[in-house]
Amino acid sequence: MFRNYLKTAFRNLAKNKVYSFINIAGLSIGLACAMLILLYTKDEASYDRFLPGVNNIYRIVSKEVNPDGSILMQSGNTGSFHGPAFASGVPEIVSFVRFQGDYVNIKKGTEVLGQDAHRVDSNFFSIMQFPLVYGNGKTALQQPDAIVLSETVARKFFGSADVVGKTLQLQRNGTFKPYTVTAVAKDCPQNSSIKFQMLTKMELSAEEISDRMNWFNFFLNTFVVLAPGADAKQVEKKMMRFYEMDARETIKIVAEKYNYKAKAQYTLQPYTDIHLSKEYRADNGMVGASNPMYSYILSGIALFILLIACINFVNLTVARSLKRAREIGVRKVIGSDRRQLIGQFLGESYILCFIAFVLALGIAQLLLPFFNDLSNKALSLTYLFDVKLVSSYAALFLVTGFLAGFYPALVLSGFNPVETLYNRFRLTGKNYLQRSLVVLQFSLATLLIIATVVMYRQFQFLVSKDLGYNDKHVLTVPNVTGNKIAVFRQELLKNPNIEQVAIRNNGFNVTLARINGNKELEFTMDWVDADYLPLYKIPVIQGRNFSRSFSSDTASAVIVNEAFVKAAGWKDAVGQVVDFWYNNKKYTVVGVVKDYHYAALNEVIKPQLLCNNEDNFGLAVIRIKEGSAAAVLPFIEQQYKSIVPLQPYSYEFKDISNQRQYEAEAKWKKMLLFGAVLTIFISCIGLFGLSVLAAEKRLKEVGVRKVLGASVTTIATALSKDFLLLVVISLFIAMPIAWLLANKWLQNYPYRAALSWWLFAAAGAGVVLLALLTVSFQAIRAAMAKPVKSLRTE
Amino acid sequence: MIKITNLEKYYRTEEVETVALNKLSFEVKEGEFVAVMGPSGCGKSTLLNIVGLLDDPDGGSFLFNGIEVAGFNERKRADLRKHNIGFVFQSFNLIDELTVFENVELPLIYTGVKAADRKVRVEEVLDKMQIMHRRNHYPQQLSGGQQQRVAVARAVVNNPKLILADEPTGNLDSSNGNEVMQLLTDLNEQGTTIIMVTHSEHDAKYSHRIIRMLDGQTVTENILV
Repeated sequence: MFRNYLKTAFRNLAKNKVYSFINIAGLSIGLACAMLILLYTKDEASYDRFLPGVNNIYRIVSKEVNPDGSILMQSGNTGSFHGPAFASGVPEIVSFVRFQGDYVNIKKGTEVLGQDAHRVDSNFFSIMQFPLVYGNGKTALQQPDAIVLSETVARKFFGSADVVGKTLQLQRNGTFKPYTVTAVAKDCPQNSSIKFQMLTKMELSAEEISDRMNWFNFFLNTFVVLAPGADAKQVEKKMMRFYEMDARETIKIVAEKYNYKAKAQYTLQPYTDIHLSKEYRADNGMVGASNPMYSYILSGIALFILLIACINFVNLTVARSLKRAREIGVRKVIGSDRRQLIGQFLGESYILCFIAFVLALGIAQLLLPFFNDLSNKALSLTYLFDVKLVSSYAALFLVTGFLAGFYPALVLSGFNPVETLYNRFRLTGKNYLQRSLVVLQFSLATLLIIATVVMYRQFQFLVSKDLGYNDKHVLTVPNVTGNKIAVFRQELLKNPNIEQVAIRNNGFNVTLARINGNKELEFTMDWVDADYLPLYKIPVIQGRNFSRSFSSDTASAVIVNEAFVKAAGWKDAVGQVVDFWYNNKKYTVVGVVKDYHYAALNEVIKPQLLCNNEDNFGLAVIRIKEGSAAAVLPFIEQQYKSIVPLQPYSYEFKDISNQRQYEAEAKWKKMLLFGAVLTIFISCIGLFGLSVLAAEKRLKEVGVRKVLGASVTTIATALSKDFLLLVVISLFIAMPIAWLLANKWLQNYPYRAALSWWLFAAAGAGVVLLALLTVSFQAIRAAMAKPVKSLRTE
Repeated sequence: MIKITNLEKYYRTEEVETVALNKLSFEVKEGEFVAVMGPSGCGKSTLLNIVGLLDDPDGGSFLFNGIEVAGFNERKRADLRKHNIGFVFQSFNLIDELTVFENVELPLIYTGVKAADRKVRVEEVLDKMQIMHRRNHYPQQLSGGQQQRVAVARAVVNNPKLILADEPTGNLDSSNGNEVMQLLTDLNEQGTTIIMVTHSEHDAKYSHRIIRMLDGQTVTENILV
């Protein structure tokens, strides 16, 4: 019997090519998307689980809670002190290892190269059992001058991985010293939150180890191993008791000196939770922090696409059932019962689904590089050998086949053989299900299209908004410090293509000070020279810019932004005093700059204070003539290498680095566009299939109308309008939902593109136009056919 | 073999109710060849469908081999049908996607006959119907007469006790029509009971008895042999 079903199914597929194409194309695209998303979610869920004994590894995380219960600060960072302190005071903590992101300069011949590295305790490999290719993990980091390299980095510096015993010149405290490679590790797996390239041993001063003030110093990750069977909640309680006892005096001192009223809370975060944690993210040397929301959104899109493809199958199979009605009748007459027919049709849906499934594997493989790029992953279908993924793919196949095939099988098997055999059979009713499913398809497609349009607009808004300063043709070069600054500037300005050179601090600094006597204000603090504001064309709206003519500027002058003035409640800012009481320094405001977006547009402009003190200078800012980049870049590099020979050279264009702040948006934009194009494509091919079947069904009607004198336009309109009406209904359903969702999403941005009505109108018009093109093609063809043909068939 | 008493069937739409069979009674004995005649809409096909267990009566009794089958559910009807009844239709009703061989094989599949036995039986019947040389052709590749032979072959492959033929020659020219009628006669001579609905007096003459119907009732019965 199965062979007979198989034959009928394959011959049906071959005979009805349009129908087969629509179903197979839709389902294979839907399945391919679902496969990629399953791969993605599987990867997300598998993060860090490859490490032996990982279930006993935790990270100490901290939260500072204000007296009113609000959270002052929450992070996965601890200091050098926390690990040894807790390990000594809480018996269930068997061991600990500290892990900190680092960046080292390495001298190779005459060249200095920058290299990502990590500082770790010597027992790193006892806890984090990453496999080694050469060397012994237990002893690898015993010596202060030991380094462990990843295979890739070993090859980068030495051309081979077998390099134990070889040395590299690492810069420490300004001088290069030889470090000996003691082990080479396999490159960390892609689903690892720790992806080290180079490890050095963490060296701590006696003060760092013994001074209890370090309870308040947070800059690295501390991982602890709990004794087998230990209850993490109980351990946390013991940790808190220990902290409150051990740090009692320090807490008092800090409270008095810094007016610090918050209370620290220490908890344990399972190592395997770090990757997807929103509260305590993977940072400070840990990588790949993700948000489970991404998985949800991606799964949602994949589900949309698959659902739409399944709807095509259901709709087309039911609509096509007229053609198979006679076969069903015959089968019933010669002895098939309903169950057997359900089996047959469900079987056919599985056959089709199987073909789509095989194709989907190919499509998924083809799309993988693109998907990896979008999702920042290095996924591979070799994961297919994983039992869980294979079973989830098998489940995907079974569910899809059932979802697509069950309802049509139920409908088709229920046909009355008498009606089908005497050509009296008609699909009765108003076909509400088919119509509702089309509405659902187009609602989903419209929703995704609007989401994409909104995201595009917001992205355009973010990258094109006036930032309050001119970031075009400006590049920054790090590691220009001390007496090198003046020389570097002087040499650069000799080149006519270089217009201005300024200097500022590297990085980002948030601090607090007292204003108006005792009011504390938190703000961003940057150090800039007198050329900085003119270079970026940031207007000074009150007072003056820093000036080399005022020698006191470097010691005591500050410039603030409007947000600072507003937060301070000043009417006249110039002359006001900012008091850094904790290091006995007072500064006087000499000018106010117009608010500009010194941070990403994801944040409102917060108070900023600019200081003229040279000690923190380190980043050269260079404005070049438009169109001169190709000529001027080698010149800058050459100057840098001759003036700052012991630092690696790098540069970045400011406008590009600004845009990079919206990388996440850019990726999501692409992802949504991809989803929207697929949903509308699959919806439209489904609609096309339905319009073909509708035109066939109404062949006689068309013939009669033509004989009675109807024009092609009238007939085409009559054939198209029902479908278009459904599409219009779906717009009315999708638009309010899209508006609500878009509005909610945009609330995440303090600066956002307006949600104009025309945006929705344009998206809606686009959908209607596509649907119109889809159905009118068939409608016009049917309307132009000779009536004699259609009438003769009766 | 078949005993029908006061059989009723109505067709209802939202506005009208049409009486298709109006307390119809008749009997068919095993081995008989009965022709049912009457004008269009008199209920011939409805009767055939009920006898063929494709449709339910709304009233009356229907005994098949002494068993009341009027209240049978679909599974029981399908079971009884596949073992006992073969159908021949005016429009052949072959499955386009299956070859001649596969079309004829289908009833054997549904009755669970093993593949090797199926092959033997299908070939035997195709041979008998003189259509063996077309075994691998699809229905569209055959003439009307050939298609009806295949339909007859399919109807008899399971050795049913009863063959129901609904205007079996209606779509055929006279020569092909005669051939099909001869086939049915041969089958009847071999012991198969046949009930045939027809408009053709010529075809009806092949039968033993003609039942004439009007407005859902039997009006006359002519015994020919």
